[in-house]
Amino acid sequence: MRALCWNGVNDLRVETVADPEILNPKDVILKVGLSTTCGSDLHLIDGLIPTMREGDVLGHEFMGEVVEVGSEVTKVKRGDRVVVPSFVSCGECFHCAQEQYSLCDTSHPKPELAEPILGYPTAGIYGYSHAFGGYSGAHAEYVRVPFADVDCFIVPEDVSDETALFISDAAPTGYMGADFCNIQQGDVIAVWGCGGVGLMAQQSAKIMGAEFVIAIDRYPERLAMAEALGAVAIDYTKVDVVEMLKDLTGGRGPDACIDAVGMEAGGRGIQQAYDRVKQALYLETDRGYALRQAMMACRKGGTLSVLGVYGLMDKFPMGMIINKGLTVRAAQQHGQAYVPRLLEHAQRGELTPAAMATHHFSLEDGPKGYDMFKHKTDGCVRAVFKP
Amino acid sequence: MQAQSHHDDLAHQDGLAHDDDQDRAASVSAAVTIGKSANEVRSLWLDPATLPRIMEPMARITPRADHTADWEMDAPLGRTLHWRTRRPEETDRLGWTTVDGADVPNTGTLILRPAPGDRGTEVTLKLRFDPPGGLLGSGIARLFHVVPREMAMKALYNFRALALTGEVPTTEPQPAARNGGMDK
Ligand SMILES: NC(=O)c1ccc[n+]([C@@H]2O[C@H](COP(=O)([O-])OP(=O)(O)OC[C@H]3O[C@@H](n4cnc5c(N)ncnc54)[C@H](O)[C@@H]3O)[C@@H](O)[C@H]2O)c1
Ligand SMILES: [Zn+2]
Ligand SMILES: [Zn+2]
Repeated sequence: MRALCWNGVNDLRVETVADPEILNPKDVILKVGLSTTCGSDLHLIDGLIPTMREGDVLGHEFMGEVVEVGSEVTKVKRGDRVVVPSFVSCGECFHCAQEQYSLCDTSHPKPELAEPILGYPTAGIYGYSHAFGGYSGAHAEYVRVPFADVDCFIVPEDVSDETALFISDAAPTGYMGADFCNIQQGDVIAVWGCGGVGLMAQQSAKIMGAEFVIAIDRYPERLAMAEALGAVAIDYTKVDVVEMLKDLTGGRGPDACIDAVGMEAGGRGIQQAYDRVKQALYLETDRGYALRQAMMACRKGGTLSVLGVYGLMDKFPMGMIINKGLTVRAAQQHGQAYVPRLLEHAQRGELTPAAMATHHFSLEDGPKGYDMFKHKTDGCVRAVFKP
Repeated sequence: MQAQSHHDDLAHQDGLAHDDDQDRAASVSAAVTIGKSANEVRSLWLDPATLPRIMEPMARITPRADHTADWEMDAPLGRTLHWRTRRPEETDRLGWTTVDGADVPNTGTLILRPAPGDRGTEVTLKLRFDPPGGLLGSGIARLFHVVPREMAMKALYNFRALALTGEVPTTEPQPAARNGGMDK
């Protein structure tokens, strides 16, 4: 089959690889319907996450049709149209039982690579480096999905392929980020980043009853999309964000701040220069501009909800958390906990992720799609591939 | 006090042996908690199919009828190390020891303890390798392709996966643009 493969920093190629096979009895094989780019892939493409190997198949946000079923799969059937969260989760372990699906204790085939970095291995992820399990990704004609009864969710007929696609990753991530904020009546939520994850966090915060939502980014088309979802949009290159947030909240500051930016954050001033130099020298993989700003802006006793992906950041302003009494919540997405709810929100028209599919490509044009996504060419929010 | 002795037990599990036998032997240990009763964990361990599955691909193990097993491990420079193991004689102990003639004499000891609350069973695997002097180039870490601490940790990870899901996570073979289109 054909697949989009990582071959080094900024080197993606579509290549011919073997078809996936059922390896364990709870596996299925999916014929990929649609797959899409995620901001997390940029960390791999930019070389900020080690343990990629040349020839790895990328892609962790996808949906498709079940074409082959392992001997112990009982719920999912051949022909089912399903969406699959980006983490492989067993549904049986301590963490899965607590709906901490991205922390699954049993789905990592290479735990010895993860333990030295994090202390304990996380769940495996599709197409996201060997320290995260080394599973072959979904930018391909077919993909193997382990623990299918737990990880495949049937898409209702009235939910389109495009909507279902984002309920794999961007939507559950954003929704989880809003869920972390424990939104109460009158709460104002600020979201850094208007990519797929940020936009979904904004819409989710509205669904959960936020008084209003403030969206921060620099790209006009992304800010316009945030406004279309009902958020107040701020261009961080044009104003002093912290001051602006104070103005908008009567001096209180947002009750919760969501970071949907991550380690490639853009920024201004000395701190940004410092971060960039260290990142360039590989002394530090992270540019934490957005995260630091979110901590500064957040009201005392508020919640900092971190969805952006970071490496091992030094110079972390811990004093901000302790002195302001902030609650920090962070995780990789626990998608399996949220997908059923998200499909219902989509059916009721409350969740509208399909608009993020701004650019469509064949799988063969995958490298071009990633290039446009990375550089946000032509207003690209998500590049969607159809194998 | 029990907590104290438990701690002493685990005190030298940081991947290296004591100074006096630094290059001679390696004692390592790793632990996982499995959400199953000690009896369930024990009977899974005693199933002759289990050890070969959880040690794969670090070691190739062929169980034999008389509670012994033949092990093969790949070593640097293309060599393969062999040994035969037997179960401990005491029926209340879990693990293995090598019989005479092992390329690298070793023992494995599995210890089960109840975990607090309803968390199941704490499972500790201790490995000890006593390579004969002649085999050692630059220390135990170079003896196998896998370092002993990783071996203990990965075997237990796989053991827990098998106990909870009936599967050992794997990605091989799978599509990749290398080795003729797949990892294997
Ligand atoms: N936690 C999870 O499970 C999970 C899942 C998916 C993605 N992510 C992470 O979430 C982050 C966002 O993902 P995405 O797909 O939306 O990425 P994206 O690249 O599409 O969007 C990131 C946005 O952040 C904006 N931005 C950059 N610097 C900023 C700043 N200083 N202030 C405000 N906005 C800024 C960019 O302009 C861009 O629009 C990434 O770090 C990604 O790795 C996490
Ligand atoms: Zn993602
Ligand atoms: Zn699990």
